[in-house]
Amino acid sequence: MTLRSPVFAMLWENWRLTQLEAAWRLVLGIVGGLAILAVFSSQREVIKDLSAAIALVLVVLPHFLGWLSIAKLNSGRPGFPLYLLYTRPVRTAVLVGVPMAYLTVLPAAIYLVSALLLRVTSGYPFPLLPVAAWIAALNVVYAATNWSTRNRVIQMLGMMVASGAWVSLANHRLNAEEIQGSYDWPPNLWPTRFDFPLTDYALIGAIGLASFGVAVARVARQRHGDAPAAMMVDFPGFPEWLVNLFQFPCPTSSATRAQVWFDLKSSGLPVLAIGLLLAILNPLVFAITRPIEFARPFAIMFAMASVLAMLILGVNAFGIRWRQGRAYASAFEATQAYGTARLAGIKVLVRSVCVLPALIAVGLSIWACLSFMVGEAHLRSWQHAIEGAVGVLTGYQQVALAVVAFIGVAVMVASVAAIMALAARYPRPLNIATCLYLLSWGLALVLLAQAGHRGIGLLFGPTRFIDAPAIVLATVYLSWRVFAERLLTLRWACGVVLISAAFGAAWVTLLRAAGVQLAGLPTMDAVWMLSPALLPLMVSVLAPWSLSRIRHI
Amino acid sequence: MGQIVIDVNDLSRSFGTKDALDHVSFRANDGQVYGLVGANGAGKTTLLKHLLGLLRATTGSVRVFGLDPVRDPVGVLSRVGYLSEERELPEWMRVDELMRYTQAFHPTWDAAYARGLLETFGLDPSKKIKELSKGMRAQAGLVAAVAHRPELLILDEPSSGLDAVVRRDILDAIVRTVADDGRTVIFSSHLLDEVERMSDHVTMMHHGRVTLSGALDDVRRGYQRSRVRFVEHFDQPPVLETALAMEGGGRTWSVVHSGSLEQFRYSVLALGGEVVESRDATLEEIFLARAGRNRQQVEVA
Repeated sequence: MTLRSPVFAMLWENWRLTQLEAAWRLVLGIVGGLAILAVFSSQREVIKDLSAAIALVLVVLPHFLGWLSIAKLNSGRPGFPLYLLYTRPVRTAVLVGVPMAYLTVLPAAIYLVSALLLRVTSGYPFPLLPVAAWIAALNVVYAATNWSTRNRVIQMLGMMVASGAWVSLANHRLNAEEIQGSYDWPPNLWPTRFDFPLTDYALIGAIGLASFGVAVARVARQRHGDAPAAMMVDFPGFPEWLVNLFQFPCPTSSATRAQVWFDLKSSGLPVLAIGLLLAILNPLVFAITRPIEFARPFAIMFAMASVLAMLILGVNAFGIRWRQGRAYASAFEATQAYGTARLAGIKVLVRSVCVLPALIAVGLSIWACLSFMVGEAHLRSWQHAIEGAVGVLTGYQQVALAVVAFIGVAVMVASVAAIMALAARYPRPLNIATCLYLLSWGLALVLLAQAGHRGIGLLFGPTRFIDAPAIVLATVYLSWRVFAERLLTLRWACGVVLISAAFGAAWVTLLRAAGVQLAGLPTMDAVWMLSPALLPLMVSVLAPWSLSRIRHI
Repeated sequence: MGQIVIDVNDLSRSFGTKDALDHVSFRANDGQVYGLVGANGAGKTTLLKHLLGLLRATTGSVRVFGLDPVRDPVGVLSRVGYLSEERELPEWMRVDELMRYTQAFHPTWDAAYARGLLETFGLDPSKKIKELSKGMRAQAGLVAAVAHRPELLILDEPSSGLDAVVRRDILDAIVRTVADDGRTVIFSSHLLDEVERMSDHVTMMHHGRVTLSGALDDVRRGYQRSRVRFVEHFDQPPVLETALAMEGGGRTWSVVHSGSLEQFRYSVLALGGEVVESRDATLEEIFLARAGRNRQQVEVA
């Protein structure tokens, strides 16, 4: 292929980088939207209208995340993503402007195509240009925020402020007139609700120009080496100052202690520190936004983002890295004389021990903040319900809850770490499997829509006949593999069985506390209810097996 | 003959459609230095990664100290020191933390030796890895790899990033010390003079295959570079038995050839020429002859 100008070459390059994600966004919006519309097509008018509103949200939602494929290419580094191209003989304005325009226009175009298709097929007046323009505005601000700074904190705050402002504006516009007994923006009002004034487009244009100007100025500094350098941190490495916040010597007495030190210092304690910081910041954000009505959603978003951040930061226990779009495990750790199962165990345990208190701290701080939220009655009622449920637990049941919570977090950390490891090892098969899985769900939803309101029940009913056998079979297969590959010793296996037994006992205790009488249930339902008790056993064999897959490729 | 430390038998490995290793067999005994040479993409690093268990064999077998490095990583890695080509070290660590961390995995760690090497290299233990230059990272990685006095030292392009003095004096000394202690060193390099200087054995790889392997002296004795003169004028390189590469034109040609000199003289004589002078070929000449411009390519050109 001959590319006749730098601009075409850069556009082609961006297309190559983002084509898969663009396809995903398009498919998710169209398939998801159509599936929801189809499922509820035989329902009452009100439900059908609601399904159209959900479809609209589904079409908009993928454009809220920024471009993951660019972040992946860039190893999640802050700063201009295509920094390797600083040496290209083009002006900074072109260097910035071309990808910025592309990454701004493409989400708007994807939205337009999806919304137009839904509009034509369903007859609902899905809004086109006004929403597309605001999606473009959000994405141009994302790009400017991400590219203008090499400070992760500023970058994250900037993204949160942008998306918070976007949601607040949408909330303000859509809920301008209250409709009793319904949400305020049913489809029949869309033509008027989304008929934004022309000043909006002027504002969007100004946002675009300002974003472009700021990004060009800041990238010019980075290009000429004036901005502070922070380029060498590989995702998911934490900032070096955060890692070195905790100074304590590496023990030399045993490999296990040294490995615990390594994992604590490199990732565990930074996660905990971020959790504590967010726990402190949440009340501050709530306190600042409390008197300002339109800013309150921002506090809720910040709280949700805090929990999400903890979950995202906490799950890559095996330290999978990305460089130039390639995922790999650290050869440094892989070549240490340490058993794979032990390594997996230590990594999961250390990460879990740090993630759990971080999550608790963030959760408690949000809990406390919600108590003094004004005008959020539904949140208050949820709080009371949870307080009531926990309050009636006996001491023994509370211990069971604590056991389930801790082992549950460890299971989550181990399973996500394992999935990330397998995704690094087998990216193509896993992508195909995920596509097929999502596609089958979409198809199943559409087909079962013919069964009317029983469709959902028909769909979810059989899963209990699949879940439990899948967990059992996966556990048996993985157990056989880890013993065949001599990853797990008998001693470790005994430990795993003990932990699983503790979790199982605690799980059954909580089921009883919730009023579930297993004896009175049909056998399949009882097995399905008990199947989560097998999860610790399954991830205990899955984690070393998956780590072995990336340690010995 | 010493004890066999590495035994690679009929090893193949492919990445997608590319055969990175194609039926490679290789053996290494203790107390010897093995140099692995080859062009970029020849399969050197892939072979070394198999020895460390970082890659699984598609077919064939790998045994290090009689153990399978994939099934028994602890058994193998506890006796191995490794310096990777990428010098991948945790950037947040200080040099002394790297030493302490590595020490914890190796009871045989020689702290005095590590300190001495750090001093020799002029590495500040309180410096972070991130702050080190590429060469200094290589030095830090080298200290971490050798300070536990491993039975097998695996160095992937150890010279990359090192300056000439460090390369010639310190690296050579370290490698020699390890070998003299009865331990084994295997290193890959594209610097043929370095391989020639440091190795007892040399293995050449090309397109995932071992094209030549043997004791360095035997290899060098097995190849000569001769200058031949013909009565007749040749526009194309003349076809000579045992010739691997030819340079020159007209009546005078330089030929790298294998086999005995007598046999070569006979084939030159058959074309009406004579061998003007002859000497042992250098490793570089042998490498270029076998992996680079071979006779067929010269003929086509």
